[in-house]
Amino acid sequence: MATRESCIICQIVENKIPSKKVYEDELVMAVLDVNGSNPGHCFVMPKNHYPIIEQVPDIEIGRLFNVSNKISSAIFESLGVHGTNIFVANGIPAGQTVAHFTINVIPRKENDGIDLQWQPKQLSEEEMSTVELKLKEQTKNIGHFEKEEKKPAKIHAANPIVLSEDEEEYFTKQMRRLP
Amino acid sequence: MAEQNISPEQMRALQEKIKQMSPEELKEFQKKQCIFCQIISGKVQSRKVYEDDKVVALLDINPANPGHVLLLTKEHYSIMPQIPDDEIAHVFMVAKSLSNSMLRSIDAQGTNIIVANGIAAGQRAQHFIAHVIPRKDNDGINFVLPQKTIEHEEIEAIGNKLIAALAGGEKEEENPQLKIPEAKKKEDTKGSQGEIDLDDISKLLGVK
Repeated sequence: MATRESCIICQIVENKIPSKKVYEDELVMAVLDVNGSNPGHCFVMPKNHYPIIEQVPDIEIGRLFNVSNKISSAIFESLGVHGTNIFVANGIPAGQTVAHFTINVIPRKENDGIDLQWQPKQLSEEEMSTVELKLKEQTKNIGHFEKEEKKPAKIHAANPIVLSEDEEEYFTKQMRRLP
Repeated sequence: MAEQNISPEQMRALQEKIKQMSPEELKEFQKKQCIFCQIISGKVQSRKVYEDDKVVALLDINPANPGHVLLLTKEHYSIMPQIPDDEIAHVFMVAKSLSNSMLRSIDAQGTNIIVANGIAAGQRAQHFIAHVIPRKDNDGINFVLPQKTIEHEEIEAIGNKLIAALAGGEKEEENPQLKIPEAKKKEDTKGSQGEIDLDDISKLLGVK
């Protein structure tokens, strides 16, 4: 398993820091947060160390979000809450605080002090078109996802970090240094 | 606004009508009510930035930031727990790719992925949506996730409840606490006082 000494989440994964685990398999672990935004706030994370979502292989993405969905349902079933949020912060400007990809599954009630709303920004038609074109230029490359049913591709089995050094450097630079 | 137009008899009639619908009819009905299903089918215009056989990604017309994308399942699901595993996996693999695209194309310095299940969580639409939001420093967005201190005993108790619920398997319990948003009302209800407006059924569907 690719873990890092300096990473607090890796320490939790390796049981060096105690935590209340609610789910674990060979790729994914989910624990309760003692400083959660609400009682029942869960962290779902890959056991392998990946700072940002771009580095997480597709198969692990599928597993991570399916586990998150199941935990969300379990929260509904057992905690009597009124809703749940699935929340990911990718990069410091997005609010990421730990350099290990984590999905927050957050139980919600009315007026619980959590705010994931935003003020809509007004964009002109032209601005919308520009953004649309720029994004499409990249999204046309989306496709060819790894599926869990299939055998994992060699590259993932051998080396969980799929980005080349150049690419990793690019992302780190782009997203600013993570703590 | 809907209540004053509906008499208790009509309400009962509506409830009866819904009860008699087969699951297929019900789904078809929900679909007809859903603005996002109309967008997906192309009846309502949108700026699509990605589409495949399972999902559509389009630009939010009220974006948190320029490039804010709504990622939708083509199939109509009101909330995430209804979505099959393979579709969940696919949705978030696409979300990852969209996040990646934002870093590369519109100078995003980070991204948020947000799903809201239930009105209390901020869900506004009747159709499952994963928001992918490009972020920059000082972009005016301030998501507040307060840190509460939760007692060790409570963590232990909650953890055990969750473990038990997870072990309970795949049963899809209806959650009476989970309120799903109603479909938007159409404006032209005036002429049809005596008639049962199909839109009103969606009120009931909200808690169904």
